[in-house]
Formats: sequence, structure tokens, C-alpha cells
Amino acid sequence: MLGWTPFLEPMNAMQSWWYLLLIPLVFGISVIYRALRVEDYAIYWQSVIIMTVQIVLGIGGIAIALGMFVQWVIPLLNQP
Amino acid sequence: MANNYNNANKPPLNIAAIILGWILPGLGHISLGQKRRGFLIMGGVLFLVVCGVLIGGIDAVDHKNDGLWFIPQVWGGLIVVGIDVLNQALIAPLPVVEKVTRVGLSHANEIGTLFIAMAGLMNFVVLLDLIGAVKSEDLERRRTTQDRRAS
Repeated sequence: MLGWTPFLEPMNAMQSWWYLLLIPLVFGISVIYRALRVEDYAIYWQSVIIMTVQIVLGIGGIAIALGMFVQWVIPLLNQP
Repeated sequence: MANNYNNANKPPLNIAAIILGWILPGLGHISLGQKRRGFLIMGGVLFLVVCGVLIGGIDAVDHKNDGLWFIPQVWGGLIVVGIDVLNQALIAPLPVVEKVTRVGLSHANEIGTLFIAMAGLMNFVVLLDLIGAVKSEDLERRRTTQDRRAS
């Protein structure tokens, strides 16, 4: 990590926690999308946070459902 | 008469604003007077691009080896083209031994590439919004206009 040159070299330290990068990705998308859609500037950041949380929870839910399907349901289907 | 009415209500095609919006994301809305919206868009797109380059390095934009990814990425504007130029000038000519530490592998490359592709796709949505955008209609002003319509 100490020998890492930001922007010139990739951040290889994130290989084990890459899935947490969903949060800044969704936050950036929400900032842009809500800037286009929000009608009242006073609730802008609130709507950005709500959209971020909704998408992260949605994708997290899908990930848990798929994980359960692969770990539990498919082995059950393979049983004689 | 009906044609005249339709033409009068037709939204203007903001070609200059669309070009400005590609050159620097958000600049199209700023040029139409929607400064707050423009700066928020600029902040959002630049946030995604900077995060993408921070995670994947400048190799996250590579029109030669990741040509399909470059199609959504290039909508992010000149800054993305600049990153690709830097990549081709600084990383691509390096010998393989030196290149290994500069090229993102596995998740670093995937996520970095994805961040910049999402920035480009979101800026594409912003450019679509510019097609029918009305001049000087910022966030607060838009609400005022709607309030007027309601009352």
C-alpha cells in the first residue's frame, strides 16, 4: 500500500472488499440522477441519500437471495 | 394553424449546450442558466471518474484493449479521452515487466472501468435531458413555475 502511486497505479488493496465500492458508485449515480429529477432543491441531498440506500438495499437483497439459492436450493435439487 | 401551434410548443434543440455538456459534464446546463443543477451534475460525474481512476488507475480507460467499455466511457467527456491519451502514452508503451504494476487486474480493473462507464452513461442521460431543457430554469425556478401552474 505504501508503494502505491494513486491514479497512476490501480488500488490493488481493494481486492478483498471490492463489493463495498457499490456504495460510492450508487452515490455518484444518485447525485447525477437526482440533480435532473428533483423539483425542490431543499430536499436534494435527502433524496440522494434515500435513492442511494434504496439501491444498495435492493442490490444487497438480490445478492442474499442469489447466495441462498446457490448455497441451499441448488444442493437440495441435486439430492437423489 | 395546427402546425404553427405545434412548432411554437416544440422544445428548442440545444446543440451548443449538448456539445458543452459533453466537453465538460454539467457545462451544458450551466450554459442554459441552470447553474446549481449543472454543478451538481459536474460534481457527480467527476466524482465517478476520479473514483474510477483511483481504483483502476489510468488503465481503466483503454480504447484499444477495452473497446466495448470505451463506448459508454467516452460519453463522460474530454476528461475521459484525456485519461485514454495518458494511458496510451504512459502505460501502453511500457515493457511487460514494468506494465504489471501499472495495469489493474481482477476487481481493480473491473470496478475502475465500471465507475467510468457509469459516469459516461449518466452523462449520456444528462445530454438527453438537455435536448428539451428550457433556458434559465433552475431547480428553485422550476418549482416556482409549477407552483404558478398549480395556482
